[in-house]
Amino acid sequence: MTAEIRNDVIVATERIEAPPEVVFPYFTDPALIVRWIGERAELDPRPGGVFSLDMGQVTACGAYITVDPPYRVVFSWGVPGSDTLPPGGSTVEVVLTPDGDDTIVVLTHRGLRTADIGTHRAGWEHRLGLLRLAAG
Amino acid sequence: MAERKQPAPAAPDAVLRALADPHRRQILRLVQHAELPAGQIAASFALTQQAVSQHIGVLRQAGLLTERREGTRRLYALNHQALEPVRELLSEFWPDALSRLKKAVETAHPRPPKREP
Repeated sequence: MTAEIRNDVIVATERIEAPPEVVFPYFTDPALIVRWIGERAELDPRPGGVFSLDMGQVTACGAYITVDPPYRVVFSWGVPGSDTLPPGGSTVEVVLTPDGDDTIVVLTHRGLRTADIGTHRAGWEHRLGLLRLAAG
Repeated sequence: MAERKQPAPAAPDAVLRALADPHRRQILRLVQHAELPAGQIAASFALTQQAVSQHIGVLRQAGLLTERREGTRRLYALNHQALEPVRELLSEFWPDALSRLKKAVETAHPRPPKREP
């Protein structure tokens, strides 16, 4: 497992001992997604369909942009009511690549403005919104 | 003391605790671009000056505020560097989540043990 944070992008990678066909629904099925993130989910996995993930203190909210089972899914991500981390303000791209019997998961979260931290209000306010997600 | 006190780097926990309060976040917003005296910060809140002073104390202890004295006034500004541990913590959000995903998938779909040929 690795992670890289560079400019406004977080890239996280994980190898999972299962094929992409098994892993993919964990990003699109409400009953499966909550096994690893969030407490309650409302998911409509088609372009424009709702992506809503209740994480206790905060709800991550956005829409599916691309749904290409079992290899790629892209959804937007944000917090309702937040001016600085609005729903759709950043995007999460998940690419599942088969490797033998395993899957390499590469998750890329773009639009985080991390390089702006401290220099623009939106930078660290945005960060605080994300922080509440991380803590929640 | 005329020189600016540079706070020592604080642990992420102290920074997170300091950031957990909406009044303290509001104080940081006020001073993120401009140095302000304590009185002016307090005037922005419907809180007692003592309560605001306590919030300023928590933020200073977390390293989020720098303090400079000018005559009898104390001026405060955001110490941007103190947010760095928060940045690092956030960079763990998705890797932690993917670790849980791996565990969830591999628990639900265990591989049969490999047999020696």
